[in-house]
Amino acid sequence: MTINIMLAGVGGQGLILMTRIICQVALKAGYDVKSNDVVGLSQRGGMVWGNVRIGDNIHSPNIPSGEGDYLVAMEPLEALRWSNGLKKDGVIIVNSKPFYPTLVQQEKYQYPHEAVAELKEKYKVLEINAFEEGKNIGKKQVSNVILIGILARHLDISPEIWRLVIDDNVPKSAKEMNAAAFELGYNYI
Amino acid sequence: MEEKRILTGNEAIARGFYEAGGKIATSYPGSPTVEVIEKLKQYDEVYSEFAINEKVALEVAIGGSFYGALSMAVMKHVGVNIAADPLMTFTETPVNGGFLLVSGDDPGLASSQNEQDNRFYGRFANMGILDPSDSQEAKDFTSLGLSLSQELSIPMLLRITSRLCHSRSIVNLKERQEVMPKGINKDKDKFCMIPSNSRSMQSFMKERLQLLEERAYHMEINRLEELEGADTLIITSGIAYQNLKELKPKASIWKLGLVFPISEKKAKAITKGYKSVIVIEEMLPFIENELKLMGIACEGKRYFSYTGELNIEDIEAGLYEAGLLKEKKNNISKMVETVPRAPLFCTGCPHRPTFDILKKSKAKVVIGDIGCYSLAALFPFEQSNSIISMGASMGMIKGVRKAMSLEAADEPLVAVIGDGTFFHSGITGMINLLHQLKAEENITIVILDNRTTAMTGGQPNASSGIYNFNEDMRVGIKPLLEAIGFNRIKEINQYDYKAAAGIFKEEIDYRGLSIIIANGPCALKYNMEKPHYYVDPKICISCRSCIKTNCPPLRMIKYEGIDKLKSSIDKDMCVGCSVCAQVCPVNAIKSSRELKEANDSDN
Repeated sequence: MTINIMLAGVGGQGLILMTRIICQVALKAGYDVKSNDVVGLSQRGGMVWGNVRIGDNIHSPNIPSGEGDYLVAMEPLEALRWSNGLKKDGVIIVNSKPFYPTLVQQEKYQYPHEAVAELKEKYKVLEINAFEEGKNIGKKQVSNVILIGILARHLDISPEIWRLVIDDNVPKSAKEMNAAAFELGYNYI
Repeated sequence: MEEKRILTGNEAIARGFYEAGGKIATSYPGSPTVEVIEKLKQYDEVYSEFAINEKVALEVAIGGSFYGALSMAVMKHVGVNIAADPLMTFTETPVNGGFLLVSGDDPGLASSQNEQDNRFYGRFANMGILDPSDSQEAKDFTSLGLSLSQELSIPMLLRITSRLCHSRSIVNLKERQEVMPKGINKDKDKFCMIPSNSRSMQSFMKERLQLLEERAYHMEINRLEELEGADTLIITSGIAYQNLKELKPKASIWKLGLVFPISEKKAKAITKGYKSVIVIEEMLPFIENELKLMGIACEGKRYFSYTGELNIEDIEAGLYEAGLLKEKKNNISKMVETVPRAPLFCTGCPHRPTFDILKKSKAKVVIGDIGCYSLAALFPFEQSNSIISMGASMGMIKGVRKAMSLEAADEPLVAVIGDGTFFHSGITGMINLLHQLKAEENITIVILDNRTTAMTGGQPNASSGIYNFNEDMRVGIKPLLEAIGFNRIKEINQYDYKAAAGIFKEEIDYRGLSIIIANGPCALKYNMEKPHYYVDPKICISCRSCIKTNCPPLRMIKYEGIDKLKSSIDKDMCVGCSVCAQVCPVNAIKSSRELKEANDSDN
């Protein structure tokens, strides 16, 4: 058994923390696990992506094309961009708040709203404005943990492990908000 | 103690150094190896630092080793170029305290200006080379490299690639083993590298490598995985091994942990049993060349690219071409072709106004340098005619100016350099500007001082202590330049757009050498968070002056009841730097602070 989780977003959205949390959860649950984060510039605004592979014996941290089980996207255009990596019945968990790239801002391209909407025809898409929901909880930064909560519901790992690992990985002052964010995601259907 | 952790390659190197009893670890921040030193900071038993540049970092580590302490220098691949001078001579001497150089290579150039394969440096400098394939090996090879170095008196290179630096996998932790430094070796003939002494070290280096090669014959990290009935042998190392394993090829695999020197005796004994030998390695043919020099028939780069990463799909395609796979299934692209998303200056970045001003200025030639401001090369600013290497802009602008002077061409020239790069290696080029300086030669140097080494995640540099109480170096750029002998230095606040634009105009017009120190704290590192700005669409004339600054929250949108698209600001992203408001010709952009005050007074 191998579960392939793809992650995608925009530089600065906190993708590295997400992969770290998922990896630690998998280790605690007794699986082999490997991950990948985008390598490169640390500043914001560019596309970022990563992988987590969970299973009995994982060799490569890279997911072979077309073998992704889940795509957790922090931005709709990035969900579209990486969707080819998914299996036929793959699941997309996506934050619906767009972050407009330079070429859209400078009016050279249209943001592909339609193509993003069409993803629903090919994949199971779980869409949430995690950004707004995060703000409601208290901080837009917790939006990632909402997405993690949705993912957790799909994986066969006890939610208690997720709660412990999230608590371990966030600053003291944000523990309550992140716990609330996880529950919101976990109970989002 | 048997504890399992999930670590990145970088974290694993730090842990391996700690466990091995390492004492002195140095670096200059460069992707992909930045986190090694950051992770070592947690261990009181280790002295670690980000030095001013890679050469100094290496020299500090050499000093540690000279005292007999286990020492390590960590840098990105191009950093080794800066450090190559001490490296090439240090590696002539015996190793008093085990020494490891960690080179973060970058196949595919995720965050680098070139793709050099530093295994060639290891060979060039007569070092042994270890090449890990996951975090466990990154940790184990760090310890092994230090102990081999200590035992055989040979400097070792741990070559790791960007993918592995940032990839996480499970690692078994061990306790630290204390290793007492031996103290300074007083055999001066072996450590003072003057010609008469260095001559005799040439054969010493060769003998040392021979000892390591003999050791390689039995090393468990060079592992043969035999497949019954296979007539093909694949020789590989690093991440390529892990990617290969996903494909379950019908071949035996010889996985090398030590890629230089390769035991010739072992290589010949193993390859003899196979009809064909295929080498899979990222970047240049290194293992392949070594084998061919031994007279072993093999193929590698015939099937696999010499550039970029070798992902599962690439290896599959190569093996298919080599006839080892009957079909290739992974030939679809993971990416959908859609709107590209290039990185851009952060919201509130102090560099944004500077490049907006430069774009509108008379200067048509801008020599760029390495740092966040390299992004100015991209659309929509496109304000760099050249970017070569750390600090190169300072030497280059002089050469351009002198060549133009010979032609009597006098158009203005501008070079931009950040504070970190200035201290790293820009300062020498700057001093050199004073040599044979002619009064009429128009050169404008812009030093972008954002008070941190921003691109690699906000590490301190030599002037950070002026702004950060907990940093210890407080070298002021302006007093330093004045002491050197520059006499036309202007300071600007990058967020004061109008005043800054005025000074830029004056200095670019000035026929002579002038320096602008452009101040503004990195918005990310120093957490800029001021009240957001907003656009009044009734005032906005759709001129797009604000949009051209490329600040992420800005966008032209359709407002209800207004035909033309008007500018807008995403208030959740805006950090209140005010630059868009300052470039707006009609004052359509206002601070929410004023809005709030107005509302308060209404009530």
